[in-house]
Amino acid sequence: MTSVNRKWYSGMATQEDWWAVYLGLFFFFLGLLSIAGVDLVGWAVYPTKWVFNVPEGGKGAISHAFYALGSKYSLTAKAFYKSLGWWSIIWTYVIFTIATCIGAASMKWDLKRFFIGWTIIYFLTIATWFIGHHAFFAANKTNWHQYGLNFALSLGGGASFILALIFGLIIGNFFKGFANYLSVAAKPEWYIKTAIVFLGVKVGYLPIKAAATSAKMGQQMASLTGHLFLAGAVATIVAYLIFWPGIYLIARKMFKLPRKTAAVLGSGISICGVSAAVATGGAVRAKPVVSIMVSALVVVWAVIELVVLPGFFTHIWPGTADPLVAGSAMGMAVKTDGADAAAGDLLDEFMRNKVTAETNGAVVWPEGVITTSAVMTKVWIDMFIGLWAFVLAMIWVYKIDRRPGETVQASEVWHRFPKFVLGYFAAWFIYLGIFFANGAGAPEGMHVLKAAKAGAVPVEKGFRKLFFMLTFMSLGIITDFSKLAEAKFGRMVWVYFVALFCFIIPVAIIIAYLFHHGMQIPNIAGQVAAG
Amino acid sequence: MAEKEAASTSTLAGGEYEAEDVLADAEPWEPIETKLVVWSFIIAGIVLVIGLFIVPTSVLH
Repeated sequence: MTSVNRKWYSGMATQEDWWAVYLGLFFFFLGLLSIAGVDLVGWAVYPTKWVFNVPEGGKGAISHAFYALGSKYSLTAKAFYKSLGWWSIIWTYVIFTIATCIGAASMKWDLKRFFIGWTIIYFLTIATWFIGHHAFFAANKTNWHQYGLNFALSLGGGASFILALIFGLIIGNFFKGFANYLSVAAKPEWYIKTAIVFLGVKVGYLPIKAAATSAKMGQQMASLTGHLFLAGAVATIVAYLIFWPGIYLIARKMFKLPRKTAAVLGSGISICGVSAAVATGGAVRAKPVVSIMVSALVVVWAVIELVVLPGFFTHIWPGTADPLVAGSAMGMAVKTDGADAAAGDLLDEFMRNKVTAETNGAVVWPEGVITTSAVMTKVWIDMFIGLWAFVLAMIWVYKIDRRPGETVQASEVWHRFPKFVLGYFAAWFIYLGIFFANGAGAPEGMHVLKAAKAGAVPVEKGFRKLFFMLTFMSLGIITDFSKLAEAKFGRMVWVYFVALFCFIIPVAIIIAYLFHHGMQIPNIAGQVAAG
Repeated sequence: MAEKEAASTSTLAGGEYEAEDVLADAEPWEPIETKLVVWSFIIAGIVLVIGLFIVPTSVLH
Protein backbone atom coordinates (compact mmCIF):
# COMPACT_ATOMS: atom_id res chain seq x y z
CA MET A 1 0.00 0.00 0.00
CA THR A 2 2.88 2.34 0.64
CA SER A 3 5.49 1.16 -1.78
CA VAL A 4 3.82 2.12 -5.05
CA ASN A 5 3.69 5.81 -6.01
CA ARG A 6 0.77 6.28 -8.34
CA LYS A 7 0.06 9.55 -10.10
CA TRP A 8 -3.35 11.10 -9.60
CA TYR A 9 -4.20 10.27 -13.20
CA SER A 10 -3.14 6.61 -12.98
CA GLY A 11 -5.67 4.29 -14.53
CA MET A 12 -7.52 6.98 -16.46
CA ALA A 13 -7.08 5.05 -19.68
CA THR A 14 -7.33 1.56 -18.30
CA GLN A 15 -10.03 1.40 -15.63
CA GLU A 16 -13.69 0.53 -16.14
CA ASP A 17 -14.58 3.26 -13.70
CA TRP A 18 -13.09 5.96 -15.92
CA TRP A 19 -14.48 4.42 -19.08
CA ALA A 20 -17.95 4.55 -17.58
CA VAL A 21 -17.40 8.30 -17.15
CA TYR A 22 -16.11 8.73 -20.72
CA LEU A 23 -18.90 6.71 -22.28
CA GLY A 24 -21.60 8.26 -20.13
CA LEU A 25 -20.47 11.84 -20.57
CA PHE A 26 -19.79 11.47 -24.31
CA PHE A 27 -23.41 10.53 -24.97
CA PHE A 28 -24.57 13.06 -22.39
CA PHE A 29 -22.81 15.85 -24.34
CA LEU A 30 -24.20 14.51 -27.62
CA GLY A 31 -27.64 14.82 -26.04
CA LEU A 32 -26.91 18.36 -24.82
CA LEU A 33 -26.36 19.50 -28.42
CA SER A 34 -30.14 19.41 -28.84
CA ILE A 35 -30.18 22.79 -27.09
CA ALA A 36 -28.25 24.12 -30.08
CA GLY A 37 -30.78 22.52 -32.44
CA VAL A 38 -28.69 19.47 -33.35
CA ASP A 39 -30.20 16.11 -32.46
CA LEU A 40 -27.51 13.43 -32.52
CA VAL A 41 -29.02 10.87 -30.12
CA GLY A 42 -32.54 10.35 -31.47
CA TRP A 43 -31.52 6.97 -32.96
CA ALA A 44 -31.64 5.41 -29.45
CA VAL A 45 -33.64 2.20 -29.68
CA TYR A 46 -36.57 1.66 -27.31
CA PRO A 47 -39.17 -1.09 -27.04
CA THR A 48 -42.89 -0.77 -26.63
CA LYS A 49 -45.57 -3.27 -25.65
CA TRP A 50 -46.79 -5.61 -28.39
CA VAL A 51 -49.08 -8.57 -29.04
CA PHE A 52 -49.33 -11.14 -31.83
CA ASN A 53 -52.92 -10.18 -32.71
CA VAL A 54 -53.81 -6.54 -32.39
CA PRO A 55 -57.49 -6.06 -31.45
CA GLU A 56 -59.60 -3.77 -33.58
CA GLY A 57 -59.02 -0.19 -32.47
CA GLY A 58 -56.31 -1.40 -30.10
CA LYS A 59 -52.54 -1.16 -30.25
CA GLY A 60 -49.41 -3.30 -30.00
CA ALA A 61 -48.38 -4.11 -33.58
CA ILE A 62 -45.12 -6.08 -33.74
CA SER A 63 -43.92 -3.77 -36.50
CA HIS A 64 -43.82 -0.99 -33.91
CA ALA A 65 -42.28 -3.06 -31.12
CA PHE A 66 -39.03 -1.11 -31.47
CA TYR A 67 -38.68 2.53 -32.42
CA ALA A 68 -36.10 5.30 -32.32
CA LEU A 69 -36.81 7.65 -29.43
CA GLY A 70 -36.12 10.64 -31.69
CA SER A 71 -39.32 9.77 -33.57
CA LYS A 72 -41.23 10.94 -30.50
CA TYR A 73 -39.02 13.56 -28.91
CA SER A 74 -36.79 15.10 -31.59
CA LEU A 75 -37.55 18.71 -32.47
CA THR A 76 -35.39 18.84 -35.56
CA ALA A 77 -35.20 15.36 -37.15
CA LYS A 78 -38.42 13.61 -36.17
CA ALA A 79 -39.21 12.38 -39.69
CA PHE A 80 -35.80 10.82 -40.15
CA TYR A 81 -35.87 9.04 -36.79
CA LYS A 82 -39.43 7.87 -37.47
CA SER A 83 -38.19 6.16 -40.61
CA LEU A 84 -35.71 4.06 -38.60
CA GLY A 85 -38.21 1.83 -36.75
CA TRP A 86 -36.57 -1.54 -36.03
CA TRP A 87 -33.40 -0.29 -37.76
CA SER A 88 -32.74 1.74 -34.65
CA ILE A 89 -31.52 -1.57 -33.15
CA ILE A 90 -28.72 -1.63 -35.72
CA TRP A 91 -27.93 2.07 -35.34
CA THR A 92 -27.64 1.65 -31.59
CA TYR A 93 -25.57 -1.50 -32.03
CA VAL A 94 -23.09 0.08 -34.44
CA ILE A 95 -22.58 3.26 -32.42
CA PHE A 96 -22.23 1.52 -29.05
CA THR A 97 -20.05 -1.20 -30.54
CA ILE A 98 -17.60 1.44 -31.72
CA ALA A 99 -17.70 3.21 -28.34
CA THR A 100 -17.32 0.09 -26.19
CA CYS A 101 -14.65 -1.42 -28.43
CA ILE A 102 -12.57 1.75 -28.07
CA GLY A 103 -12.92 1.35 -24.31
CA ALA A 104 -12.09 -2.37 -24.44
CA ALA A 105 -8.99 -1.70 -26.55
CA SER A 106 -7.87 1.03 -24.18
CA MET A 107 -8.34 -1.30 -21.22
CA LYS A 108 -6.25 -3.86 -23.10
CA TRP A 109 -8.93 -6.51 -23.23
CA ASP A 110 -8.94 -9.19 -25.96
CA LEU A 111 -10.63 -7.02 -28.60
CA LYS A 112 -11.73 -9.79 -30.94
CA ARG A 113 -13.34 -11.77 -28.10
CA PHE A 114 -14.87 -8.61 -26.67
CA PHE A 115 -16.37 -7.69 -30.05
CA ILE A 116 -17.90 -11.15 -30.55
CA GLY A 117 -19.03 -11.40 -26.92
CA TRP A 118 -20.50 -7.89 -26.95
CA THR A 119 -22.36 -8.62 -30.21
CA ILE A 120 -23.87 -11.82 -28.78
CA ILE A 121 -24.79 -10.17 -25.48
CA TYR A 122 -26.26 -7.13 -27.23
CA PHE A 123 -28.56 -9.12 -29.50
CA LEU A 124 -29.53 -11.53 -26.70
CA THR A 125 -30.41 -8.46 -24.66
CA ILE A 126 -32.49 -6.97 -27.47
CA ALA A 127 -34.30 -10.30 -27.94
CA THR A 128 -35.03 -10.42 -24.22
CA TRP A 129 -36.21 -6.80 -24.24
CA PHE A 130 -38.59 -7.72 -27.04
CA ILE A 131 -40.01 -10.77 -25.24
CA GLY A 132 -40.30 -8.86 -21.96
CA HIS A 133 -42.45 -6.24 -23.65
CA HIS A 134 -45.12 -8.66 -24.76
CA ALA A 135 -48.25 -7.10 -23.32
CA PHE A 136 -48.90 -10.22 -21.20
CA PHE A 137 -45.77 -9.38 -19.18
CA ALA A 138 -45.67 -5.60 -19.38
CA ALA A 139 -49.24 -4.25 -19.64
CA ASN A 140 -51.14 -3.37 -16.49
CA LYS A 141 -54.77 -3.22 -15.44
CA THR A 142 -55.30 0.26 -16.84
CA ASN A 143 -54.31 -0.63 -20.39
CA TRP A 144 -54.31 -4.40 -20.95
CA HIS A 145 -57.71 -4.22 -22.71
CA GLN A 146 -56.04 -2.07 -25.40
CA TYR A 147 -53.95 -5.11 -26.30
CA GLY A 148 -56.95 -7.44 -26.37
CA LEU A 149 -56.04 -9.08 -23.04
CA ASN A 150 -58.21 -9.82 -20.03
CA PHE A 151 -55.24 -10.34 -17.78
CA ALA A 152 -51.56 -9.37 -17.74
CA LEU A 153 -48.76 -9.77 -15.21
CA SER A 154 -48.43 -5.97 -14.81
CA LEU A 155 -44.66 -6.11 -14.49
CA GLY A 156 -44.00 -3.13 -16.75
CA GLY A 157 -40.39 -2.93 -17.90
CA GLY A 158 -39.44 -5.09 -14.91
CA ALA A 159 -40.36 -8.24 -16.84
CA SER A 160 -37.51 -7.58 -19.29
CA PHE A 161 -35.03 -7.16 -16.43
CA ILE A 162 -36.12 -10.42 -14.81
CA LEU A 163 -35.98 -12.29 -18.11
CA ALA A 164 -32.53 -10.88 -18.90
CA LEU A 165 -31.30 -12.07 -15.51
CA ILE A 166 -32.89 -15.50 -15.97
CA PHE A 167 -31.42 -15.95 -19.47
CA GLY A 168 -28.05 -14.80 -18.18
CA LEU A 169 -28.22 -17.20 -15.23
CA ILE A 170 -29.13 -20.09 -17.55
CA ILE A 171 -26.05 -19.35 -19.64
CA GLY A 172 -23.86 -18.82 -16.56
CA ASN A 173 -24.91 -22.03 -14.83
CA PHE A 174 -25.75 -24.50 -17.63
CA PHE A 175 -23.48 -23.41 -20.48
CA LYS A 176 -20.33 -22.61 -18.56
CA GLY A 177 -17.97 -22.84 -21.54
CA PHE A 178 -20.09 -20.34 -23.46
CA ALA A 179 -20.38 -18.13 -20.36
CA ASN A 180 -16.62 -18.20 -19.98
CA TYR A 181 -16.22 -17.10 -23.59
CA LEU A 182 -18.70 -14.28 -23.10
CA SER A 183 -17.10 -13.18 -19.83
CA VAL A 184 -14.71 -10.83 -21.67
CA ALA A 185 -17.74 -8.75 -22.66
CA ALA A 186 -20.02 -9.58 -19.71
CA LYS A 187 -19.07 -6.57 -17.60
CA PRO A 188 -21.98 -5.70 -15.30
CA GLU A 189 -19.98 -3.18 -13.28
CA TRP A 190 -18.90 -1.26 -16.39
CA TYR A 191 -22.37 -1.25 -17.88
CA ILE A 192 -24.08 -0.24 -14.67
CA LYS A 193 -21.61 2.54 -13.92
CA THR A 194 -22.25 3.89 -17.40
CA ALA A 195 -25.98 3.56 -16.77
CA ILE A 196 -25.55 5.47 -13.51
CA VAL A 197 -23.95 8.37 -15.40
CA PHE A 198 -27.03 8.27 -17.68
CA LEU A 199 -29.11 8.21 -14.51
CA GLY A 200 -27.49 11.53 -13.58
CA VAL A 201 -29.13 12.91 -16.73
CA LYS A 202 -32.42 11.47 -15.51
CA VAL A 203 -32.15 13.06 -12.06
CA GLY A 204 -31.26 16.45 -13.56
CA TYR A 205 -33.97 16.13 -16.20
CA LEU A 206 -36.78 15.24 -13.74
CA PRO A 207 -37.55 18.90 -12.91
CA ILE A 208 -37.54 19.77 -16.64
CA LYS A 209 -39.98 16.95 -17.31
CA ALA A 210 -42.20 17.98 -14.41
CA ALA A 211 -42.10 21.62 -15.57
CA ALA A 212 -44.09 20.53 -18.63
CA THR A 213 -47.05 20.26 -16.23
CA SER A 214 -46.35 23.46 -14.31
CA ALA A 215 -43.41 25.50 -13.08
CA LYS A 216 -44.45 24.60 -9.54
CA MET A 217 -44.26 20.89 -10.30
CA GLY A 218 -40.78 21.36 -11.77
CA GLN A 219 -39.55 23.14 -8.66
CA GLN A 220 -41.18 20.48 -6.50
CA MET A 221 -39.20 17.81 -8.35
CA ALA A 222 -35.95 19.78 -8.03
CA SER A 223 -36.60 20.05 -4.30
CA LEU A 224 -37.35 16.31 -4.01
CA THR A 225 -34.08 15.31 -5.69
CA GLY A 226 -32.23 17.76 -3.43
CA HIS A 227 -33.83 16.19 -0.36
CA LEU A 228 -32.93 12.71 -1.58
CA PHE A 229 -29.36 13.89 -1.97
CA LEU A 230 -29.10 15.15 1.63
CA ALA A 231 -31.13 12.36 3.26
CA GLY A 232 -29.16 9.76 1.30
CA ALA A 233 -25.84 11.21 2.45
CA VAL A 234 -26.66 11.20 6.17
CA ALA A 235 -28.48 7.85 6.08
CA THR A 236 -25.51 6.26 4.35
CA ILE A 237 -22.93 7.53 6.84
CA VAL A 238 -25.03 6.35 9.78
CA ALA A 239 -25.79 2.99 8.17
CA TYR A 240 -22.22 2.31 7.23
CA LEU A 241 -20.83 3.15 10.67
CA ILE A 242 -23.32 0.64 12.12
CA PHE A 243 -22.96 -2.00 9.38
CA TRP A 244 -19.20 -2.42 9.44
CA PRO A 245 -18.62 -2.94 13.18
CA GLY A 246 -21.78 -5.07 13.37
CA ILE A 247 -20.57 -7.43 10.65
CA TYR A 248 -17.08 -7.44 12.12
CA LEU A 249 -18.53 -8.45 15.50
CA ILE A 250 -20.70 -11.18 13.98
CA ALA A 251 -17.77 -12.58 11.97
CA ARG A 252 -15.31 -12.46 14.87
CA LYS A 253 -17.50 -13.38 17.85
CA MET A 254 -20.18 -15.65 16.40
CA PHE A 255 -18.25 -17.30 13.58
CA LYS A 256 -14.72 -17.08 15.02
CA LEU A 257 -13.11 -15.77 11.84
CA PRO A 258 -9.61 -14.27 11.75
CA ARG A 259 -9.30 -10.49 11.92
CA LYS A 260 -8.39 -9.79 8.30
CA THR A 261 -11.07 -12.07 6.91
CA ALA A 262 -13.62 -10.42 9.22
CA ALA A 263 -12.48 -6.95 8.11
CA VAL A 264 -12.81 -7.78 4.40
CA LEU A 265 -16.18 -9.41 5.02
CA GLY A 266 -17.25 -6.37 7.01
CA SER A 267 -16.54 -4.09 4.06
CA GLY A 268 -17.85 -6.48 1.42
CA ILE A 269 -21.19 -6.99 3.13
CA SER A 270 -21.49 -3.42 4.40
CA ILE A 271 -20.44 -1.28 1.49
CA CYS A 272 -20.17 -1.87 -2.14
CA GLY A 273 -19.21 -5.47 -2.40
CA VAL A 274 -16.51 -6.17 -4.87
CA SER A 275 -14.54 -2.93 -4.90
CA ALA A 276 -14.87 -2.51 -1.13
CA ALA A 277 -13.68 -6.07 -0.51
CA VAL A 278 -10.70 -5.53 -2.79
CA ALA A 279 -9.91 -2.11 -1.29
CA THR A 280 -10.14 -3.35 2.30
CA GLY A 281 -8.21 -6.52 1.45
CA GLY A 282 -5.42 -4.25 0.23
CA ALA A 283 -5.69 -1.94 3.23
CA VAL A 284 -5.42 -4.68 5.86
CA ARG A 285 -3.18 -6.85 3.71
CA ALA A 286 -5.41 -9.87 3.70
CA LYS A 287 -4.48 -12.75 1.40
CA PRO A 288 -5.86 -12.07 -2.11
CA VAL A 289 -8.03 -15.18 -1.90
CA VAL A 290 -10.07 -13.55 0.88
CA SER A 291 -11.10 -10.64 -1.35
CA ILE A 292 -11.86 -13.02 -4.19
CA MET A 293 -14.01 -15.26 -2.00
CA VAL A 294 -15.89 -12.33 -0.49
CA SER A 295 -16.36 -10.78 -3.95
CA ALA A 296 -17.85 -14.00 -5.31
CA LEU A 297 -20.22 -14.20 -2.34
CA VAL A 298 -21.21 -10.57 -2.77
CA VAL A 299 -22.14 -11.07 -6.42
CA VAL A 300 -24.14 -14.24 -5.80
CA TRP A 301 -26.00 -12.83 -2.78
CA ALA A 302 -26.66 -9.56 -4.60
CA VAL A 303 -28.45 -11.50 -7.32
CA ILE A 304 -30.57 -13.24 -4.68
CA GLU A 305 -31.40 -9.87 -3.10
CA LEU A 306 -32.22 -8.49 -6.54
CA VAL A 307 -34.79 -11.22 -7.03
CA VAL A 308 -36.29 -11.09 -3.53
CA LEU A 309 -36.25 -7.49 -2.29
CA PRO A 310 -38.14 -5.53 -5.01
CA GLY A 311 -41.12 -7.88 -4.68
CA PHE A 312 -40.89 -7.86 -0.88
CA PHE A 313 -40.76 -4.06 -0.64
CA THR A 314 -43.58 -3.66 -3.17
CA HIS A 315 -46.04 -6.25 -1.96
CA ILE A 316 -45.26 -6.83 1.73
CA TRP A 317 -43.70 -3.74 3.25
CA PRO A 318 -43.64 -0.71 2.92
CA GLY A 319 -45.56 -0.97 -0.36
CA THR A 320 -46.74 2.13 -2.17
CA ALA A 321 -47.24 3.95 1.15
CA ASP A 322 -43.53 4.72 1.48
CA PRO A 323 -41.81 4.05 -1.86
CA LEU A 324 -38.74 6.16 -1.12
CA VAL A 325 -38.10 4.32 2.15
CA ALA A 326 -38.02 1.14 0.07
CA GLY A 327 -35.72 2.69 -2.55
CA SER A 328 -33.30 4.05 0.01
CA ALA A 329 -33.25 0.77 1.97
CA MET A 330 -32.52 -1.04 -1.28
CA GLY A 331 -29.51 1.19 -1.88
CA MET A 332 -28.12 0.36 1.54
CA ALA A 333 -28.90 -3.37 1.43
CA VAL A 334 -27.88 -4.54 -2.04
CA LYS A 335 -24.14 -4.79 -2.27
CA THR A 336 -23.07 -4.21 -5.84
CA ASP A 337 -23.68 -1.15 -7.98
CA GLY A 338 -25.09 -3.33 -10.72
CA ALA A 339 -27.52 -5.30 -8.61
CA ASP A 340 -28.53 -2.25 -6.57
CA ALA A 341 -29.33 0.04 -9.48
CA ALA A 342 -30.99 -2.85 -11.26
CA ALA A 343 -33.03 -3.73 -8.16
CA GLY A 344 -33.91 -0.04 -7.77
CA ASP A 345 -35.17 0.09 -11.34
CA LEU A 346 -37.15 -3.10 -10.83
CA LEU A 347 -38.65 -1.64 -7.67
CA ASP A 348 -39.45 1.53 -9.61
CA GLU A 349 -41.33 -0.47 -12.25
CA PHE A 350 -43.18 -2.60 -9.67
CA MET A 351 -44.19 0.35 -7.47
CA ARG A 352 -45.34 2.56 -10.34
CA ASN A 353 -47.39 -0.22 -11.85
CA LYS A 354 -48.87 -1.10 -8.47
CA VAL A 355 -49.89 2.45 -7.57
CA THR A 356 -51.39 3.01 -11.02
CA ALA A 357 -53.36 -0.23 -10.79
CA GLU A 358 -54.47 0.41 -7.18
CA THR A 359 -55.83 3.84 -8.05
CA ASN A 360 -57.15 2.98 -11.52
CA GLY A 361 -54.77 5.48 -13.06
CA ALA A 362 -55.61 8.37 -10.73
CA VAL A 363 -52.02 8.31 -9.41
CA VAL A 364 -49.08 8.06 -11.79
CA TRP A 365 -45.53 8.48 -10.56
CA PRO A 366 -42.77 9.71 -12.85
CA GLU A 367 -40.35 7.03 -13.84
CA GLY A 368 -36.96 7.00 -12.14
CA VAL A 369 -37.60 8.72 -8.79
CA ILE A 370 -37.52 5.45 -6.83
CA THR A 371 -34.48 4.29 -8.79
CA THR A 372 -32.85 7.58 -7.89
CA SER A 373 -33.49 7.03 -4.17
CA ALA A 374 -31.85 3.59 -4.42
CA VAL A 375 -28.86 4.84 -6.37
CA MET A 376 -28.40 7.95 -4.23
CA THR A 377 -27.57 5.96 -1.08
CA LYS A 378 -25.38 3.64 -3.13
CA VAL A 379 -23.44 6.50 -4.64
CA TRP A 380 -22.73 7.88 -1.18
CA ILE A 381 -21.62 4.46 0.00
CA ASP A 382 -19.32 4.20 -3.02
CA MET A 383 -17.73 7.52 -2.13
CA PHE A 384 -17.20 6.24 1.38
CA ILE A 385 -15.11 3.25 0.22
CA GLY A 386 -11.93 5.23 -0.31
CA LEU A 387 -12.18 7.01 3.01
CA TRP A 388 -12.94 3.83 4.94
CA ALA A 389 -10.15 1.86 3.24
CA PHE A 390 -7.81 4.69 4.24
CA VAL A 391 -9.00 4.66 7.87
CA LEU A 392 -8.68 0.87 8.09
CA ALA A 393 -5.24 0.96 6.52
CA MET A 394 -4.08 3.44 9.16
CA ILE A 395 -5.59 1.42 12.01
CA TRP A 396 -4.04 -1.79 10.73
CA VAL A 397 -0.61 -0.27 10.06
CA TYR A 398 -0.34 1.80 13.23
CA LYS A 399 -2.39 -0.18 15.74
CA ILE A 400 -3.06 -3.80 14.82
CA ASP A 401 -0.12 -5.00 12.74
CA ARG A 402 2.15 -2.25 14.11
CA ARG A 403 4.43 -2.06 11.05
CA PRO A 404 7.26 0.29 12.09
CA GLY A 405 8.32 2.99 9.66
CA GLU A 406 5.36 2.44 7.35
CA THR A 407 2.98 5.24 6.32
CA VAL A 408 -0.28 5.49 4.45
CA GLN A 409 -0.52 8.07 1.67
CA ALA A 410 -3.58 10.32 1.63
CA SER A 411 -3.68 9.95 -2.16
CA GLU A 412 -5.10 6.46 -1.58
CA VAL A 413 -8.45 8.13 -0.92
CA TRP A 414 -8.45 9.52 -4.46
CA HIS A 415 -7.32 6.23 -6.01
CA ARG A 416 -10.15 4.39 -4.30
CA PHE A 417 -12.73 7.04 -5.11
CA PRO A 418 -15.40 5.70 -7.52
CA LYS A 419 -14.83 7.91 -10.54
CA PHE A 420 -18.15 7.18 -12.25
CA VAL A 421 -19.75 9.22 -9.47
CA LEU A 422 -18.14 12.30 -11.06
CA GLY A 423 -20.00 11.62 -14.29
CA TYR A 424 -23.26 11.08 -12.40
CA PHE A 425 -23.02 14.39 -10.55
CA ALA A 426 -21.79 16.31 -13.62
CA ALA A 427 -24.75 15.13 -15.69
CA TRP A 428 -27.19 15.83 -12.86
CA PHE A 429 -25.95 19.31 -11.98
CA ILE A 430 -25.61 20.47 -15.59
CA TYR A 431 -29.24 19.60 -16.38
CA LEU A 432 -30.33 21.08 -13.06
CA GLY A 433 -28.37 24.24 -13.97
CA ILE A 434 -30.15 24.38 -17.33
CA PHE A 435 -33.49 24.13 -15.50
CA PHE A 436 -32.76 26.98 -13.10
CA ALA A 437 -30.89 29.13 -15.65
CA ASN A 438 -33.95 29.10 -17.90
CA GLY A 439 -36.57 30.31 -15.48
CA ALA A 440 -37.16 27.03 -13.55
CA GLY A 441 -40.27 26.28 -15.59
CA ALA A 442 -41.32 29.88 -16.35
CA PRO A 443 -42.93 30.27 -19.81
CA GLU A 444 -40.09 32.39 -21.26
CA GLY A 445 -37.55 29.60 -20.76
CA MET A 446 -39.71 26.68 -21.83
CA HIS A 447 -38.40 26.57 -25.42
CA VAL A 448 -34.88 25.88 -24.11
CA LEU A 449 -36.19 23.24 -21.68
CA LYS A 450 -38.11 21.55 -24.51
CA ALA A 451 -34.94 21.48 -26.63
CA ALA A 452 -33.01 20.06 -23.67
CA LYS A 453 -35.68 17.38 -23.24
CA ALA A 454 -35.24 16.24 -26.87
CA GLY A 455 -31.60 15.38 -26.14
CA ALA A 456 -32.08 14.16 -22.58
CA VAL A 457 -34.80 11.55 -23.15
CA PRO A 458 -32.86 9.27 -25.52
CA VAL A 459 -29.98 9.28 -23.00
CA GLU A 460 -31.85 8.92 -19.72
CA LYS A 461 -34.49 6.56 -21.10
CA GLY A 462 -33.05 4.73 -24.11
CA PHE A 463 -29.38 4.37 -23.23
CA ARG A 464 -29.99 3.99 -19.51
CA LYS A 465 -32.52 1.19 -19.94
CA LEU A 466 -30.35 -0.54 -22.53
CA PHE A 467 -27.38 -0.50 -20.17
CA PHE A 468 -29.54 -1.75 -17.31
CA MET A 469 -30.61 -4.63 -19.53
CA LEU A 470 -26.99 -5.36 -20.47
CA THR A 471 -26.17 -5.32 -16.75
CA PHE A 472 -28.86 -7.87 -15.89
CA MET A 473 -27.79 -10.16 -18.71
CA SER A 474 -24.08 -9.87 -17.83
CA LEU A 475 -24.72 -10.32 -14.12
CA GLY A 476 -26.51 -13.58 -14.87
CA ILE A 477 -23.73 -14.75 -17.19
CA ILE A 478 -20.97 -14.31 -14.62
CA THR A 479 -22.98 -15.65 -11.66
CA ASP A 480 -22.16 -19.26 -10.91
CA PHE A 481 -24.32 -20.60 -8.09
CA SER A 482 -22.15 -23.68 -7.73
CA LYS A 483 -19.56 -21.45 -6.07
CA LEU A 484 -21.83 -21.27 -3.06
CA ALA A 485 -21.70 -25.02 -2.76
CA GLU A 486 -17.92 -25.18 -2.52
CA ALA A 487 -17.07 -26.52 0.89
CA LYS A 488 -14.62 -23.83 1.94
CA PHE A 489 -17.26 -21.20 1.37
CA GLY A 490 -19.55 -22.86 3.88
CA ARG A 491 -18.89 -20.71 6.91
CA MET A 492 -18.65 -17.48 4.91
CA VAL A 493 -21.96 -18.20 3.23
CA TRP A 494 -23.54 -18.48 6.67
CA VAL A 495 -21.86 -15.32 7.96
CA TYR A 496 -23.21 -13.52 4.91
CA PHE A 497 -26.68 -14.99 5.30
CA VAL A 498 -26.95 -14.12 9.00
CA ALA A 499 -25.40 -10.68 8.53
CA LEU A 500 -27.54 -9.77 5.57
CA PHE A 501 -30.96 -10.90 6.66
CA CYS A 502 -30.67 -10.47 10.43
CA PHE A 503 -28.64 -7.28 10.50
CA ILE A 504 -28.03 -5.34 7.28
CA ILE A 505 -31.53 -5.37 5.81
CA PRO A 506 -33.38 -4.58 9.09
CA VAL A 507 -30.93 -1.77 9.96
CA ALA A 508 -31.14 -0.41 6.39
CA ILE A 509 -34.93 -0.35 6.59
CA ILE A 510 -34.93 1.42 9.98
CA ILE A 511 -32.45 4.08 8.86
CA ALA A 512 -34.20 4.57 5.53
CA TYR A 513 -37.45 5.02 7.47
CA LEU A 514 -35.92 7.57 9.84
CA PHE A 515 -34.75 9.79 6.98
CA HIS A 516 -37.26 9.15 4.17
CA HIS A 517 -40.57 8.36 5.84
CA GLY A 518 -43.41 10.38 4.35
CA MET A 519 -41.49 11.72 1.34
CA GLN A 520 -43.98 12.04 -1.50
CA ILE A 521 -43.46 11.49 -5.21
CA PRO A 522 -45.38 14.07 -7.29
CA ASN A 523 -48.43 12.71 -9.07
CA ILE A 524 -48.17 13.28 -12.83
CA ALA A 525 -51.47 11.64 -13.79
CA GLY A 526 -52.72 14.90 -15.32
CA GLN A 527 -49.57 15.30 -17.37
CA VAL A 528 -49.79 11.72 -18.67
CA ALA A 529 -53.44 12.18 -19.57
CA ALA A 530 -52.64 15.45 -21.35
CA GLY A 531 -49.73 13.87 -23.22
CA MET B 1 -0.67 -4.86 -4.71
CA ALA B 2 -1.79 -1.55 -6.08
CA GLU B 3 -1.56 -2.71 -9.66
CA LYS B 4 -3.35 -5.91 -8.80
CA GLU B 5 -6.11 -3.87 -7.17
CA ALA B 6 -6.37 -1.52 -10.09
CA ALA B 7 -6.72 -4.41 -12.47
CA SER B 8 -9.21 -6.30 -10.42
CA THR B 9 -11.34 -3.52 -8.96
CA SER B 10 -14.99 -3.99 -9.74
CA THR B 11 -14.61 -6.84 -12.14
CA LEU B 12 -15.46 -10.41 -11.44
CA ALA B 13 -14.96 -12.84 -14.22
CA GLY B 14 -14.67 -16.12 -12.39
CA GLY B 15 -11.20 -15.97 -10.90
CA GLU B 16 -9.28 -18.92 -9.56
CA TYR B 17 -9.69 -19.92 -5.94
CA GLU B 18 -6.61 -20.87 -4.01
CA ALA B 19 -6.99 -23.71 -1.57
CA GLU B 20 -5.72 -21.70 1.38
CA ASP B 21 -7.64 -21.84 4.58
CA VAL B 22 -8.26 -18.26 5.54
CA LEU B 23 -11.08 -19.09 7.88
CA ALA B 24 -9.07 -20.86 10.58
CA ASP B 25 -6.75 -19.65 13.37
CA ALA B 26 -8.75 -16.70 14.60
CA GLU B 27 -6.61 -14.42 16.74
CA PRO B 28 -7.83 -13.59 20.26
CA TRP B 29 -10.00 -10.49 20.52
CA GLU B 30 -7.91 -7.45 21.42
CA PRO B 31 -8.82 -4.14 23.10
CA ILE B 32 -8.09 -2.20 19.89
CA GLU B 33 -10.88 -4.14 18.19
CA THR B 34 -13.26 -3.17 20.97
CA LYS B 35 -12.22 0.46 20.49
CA LEU B 36 -12.74 0.24 16.73
CA VAL B 37 -16.20 -1.26 17.08
CA VAL B 38 -17.39 0.91 19.96
CA TRP B 39 -16.14 4.17 18.44
CA SER B 40 -17.74 3.33 15.15
CA PHE B 41 -21.10 2.83 16.90
CA ILE B 42 -20.62 6.03 18.94
CA ILE B 43 -19.86 8.13 15.84
CA ALA B 44 -22.86 6.55 14.09
CA GLY B 45 -25.06 7.59 17.04
CA ILE B 46 -23.74 11.15 16.95
CA VAL B 47 -24.23 11.46 13.16
CA LEU B 48 -27.72 9.97 13.55
CA VAL B 49 -28.79 12.54 16.13
CA ILE B 50 -27.31 15.47 14.18
CA GLY B 51 -28.76 14.09 10.94
CA LEU B 52 -32.25 13.77 12.37
CA PHE B 53 -32.13 17.46 13.23
CA ILE B 54 -30.61 18.79 10.02
CA VAL B 55 -32.30 16.63 7.38
CA PRO B 56 -35.68 18.23 6.63
CA THR B 57 -37.24 14.93 5.56
CA SER B 58 -36.36 13.05 8.77
CA VAL B 59 -39.06 11.76 11.12
CA LEU B 60 -38.28 14.61 13.54
CA HIS B 61 -39.69 17.18 11.10
